[in-house]
Amino acid sequence: MSMELFSILVLFASFAILLFLKVPVAYAIGISTACSLLLNLDKLPGLTTIAQRMTSGLDSFALLAIPFFVLAGEIMKRGGIANRLIKFANSLVASLPGGLAYVNVLASMLFGAISGSAIAATSAIGSIMTDKMEEEGYPREFSASVNITSSTTGLLIPPSSILIVYALASGGAASVAALFLAGYLPGILVGFALMGYIAFVAINKKFKRGKRATFSEIWNHFKRAFLSLLLLVVVVGGIVAGIFTATEASAIAVLYAALLSLAYGDISVRDFPDILLSAAKTTAVVMFLISTSMAMSWLFSFQGIPQMISEFLLEQFSDKFVIFLIINLILLVIGTFMDITPAVLIFTPIFLPVVMELGMDPVHFGIVMVLNLCIGLCTPPVGTILFVGSGVAKVSVSKVIKPLLAFIGIMIIVLLLVIYIPGISLYLPSLFDL
Amino acid sequence: MNRKRADRVFNLVKRIMEGLLVLLFGLLVLDVLWQVFSRFLLNSSYSFTEELARFLLIWLSVLGAAYLNARREHLSMDFIYSKLSNQNKIRLSIFGEVVIFVFALLVMLVGGANLVFITMHLEQLSGTLRIPLGYVYCILPVSGFLIMCFSVYHISGFIRNQPKPLG
Repeated sequence: MSMELFSILVLFASFAILLFLKVPVAYAIGISTACSLLLNLDKLPGLTTIAQRMTSGLDSFALLAIPFFVLAGEIMKRGGIANRLIKFANSLVASLPGGLAYVNVLASMLFGAISGSAIAATSAIGSIMTDKMEEEGYPREFSASVNITSSTTGLLIPPSSILIVYALASGGAASVAALFLAGYLPGILVGFALMGYIAFVAINKKFKRGKRATFSEIWNHFKRAFLSLLLLVVVVGGIVAGIFTATEASAIAVLYAALLSLAYGDISVRDFPDILLSAAKTTAVVMFLISTSMAMSWLFSFQGIPQMISEFLLEQFSDKFVIFLIINLILLVIGTFMDITPAVLIFTPIFLPVVMELGMDPVHFGIVMVLNLCIGLCTPPVGTILFVGSGVAKVSVSKVIKPLLAFIGIMIIVLLLVIYIPGISLYLPSLFDL
Repeated sequence: MNRKRADRVFNLVKRIMEGLLVLLFGLLVLDVLWQVFSRFLLNSSYSFTEELARFLLIWLSVLGAAYLNARREHLSMDFIYSKLSNQNKIRLSIFGEVVIFVFALLVMLVGGANLVFITMHLEQLSGTLRIPLGYVYCILPVSGFLIMCFSVYHISGFIRNQPKPLG
């Protein structure tokens, strides 16, 4: 067996074993990288190279958007912003059959979009909506599935830190502004598709309708939610118009969320250290994953793995639709085992050259990849949003899985549409010549 | 060192790290906001803010990772772990801490210290702030050392509390 193949085998085998033995994912990535690299390099230079890649991987102004969106989400989670959005969504859709489930979807979409964090959306909306929905006869595991899957739309609807990470991983092939515009329609499509399925369930199971809100009620709730919604315009508008960078926009989102929550009296200045510490912990989880993933990603390119995979795929399969499908199947599997951020960082450099060779737009591929990996966030064994969502709904993960499967099926159908109809992603950016 | 004293030191270190993380994150927010406002309001750009932000992010991330080790709050997969007996849960947790200890020792402490040594020896300075890059990288061996200490602390805790698993 050739040395390259052996070291790749060592990499994957040690990574899988360590994951199963409950070694933290970030360490499993780092250790398997070290094991594999030490087969090729001498001890001290090898260890130093990994240490260097771990730090240089974090040394990026673009990545700063991650801690800032986490912090903005943390501030909004504590405030009444979630409540205002829920009341606004409630006035719009509660009168339909299964109304509260739509409220859950719409509020999760709005909160996910505003905070730029799907996890913040899951916990903020889920913790309020599950109890409300139970009072009206919805099973808790059903509400949790609605909440979990609809929260992922926050990763597609801008601002979204994962799209910024993709822009970074694409090496400049896709711009943040184009990705943000491209994310709107697929994100909204996922939300609508979930609502369509809910309508089907609601009519079958005869879920209650709420009372219809009058126009003036809707207007009142809109006014109360207006300042929260305005954040979307400021942040996304500023980036698309080129007024500030994505990182600067995320810092402005923090300031805006803080001022708004202070003005609403939801938080006080004394809460800041607590909020910062919570956000620092979430940030460290993600950033340390990024740190070791960057070392692994470097190792891949050091061993020429992207070229190997690209040659293999292009030789074995002649049809580009088949290759897209295979790449997506691989990503679906990866998504179940890996968190979305390291998956984007490690696999973008591997698959992007292949699909670009076949004429796929890098912006389109970014949206496909993120939507695909969103599905993995909702599935065991490593589904961050699944665990957070089940946690706030106070139901066990194993109970949520059954109702969740249908929702995941809907997401896969939308994924296929987004893969094979590029216009869903590329129409909006084309309007702005991006 | 007896257990009570170890607990006290552990909690003190954890407190200090919490304070540092809050401070680093707060500085990071102010730094980037200052960059935006100085560009729009004062119409001048301080390029040092961007470099400072990147260095703060490295410190926040790596020190934060060590803090997560203190609290055993890193993301991990427990679908095999959750099916094990208490005795085996403890064994697996000890194994995990040993693996983390080895990584922290070899990559973060030895590799990181060598990286600091090389950049200091070559007298590499950062682009605009003109501080030695070794100062930035030194968070890696420092955090590596802390993680090793936390691992030893957790392992000794697991061995003591044999019947009931922690965390």
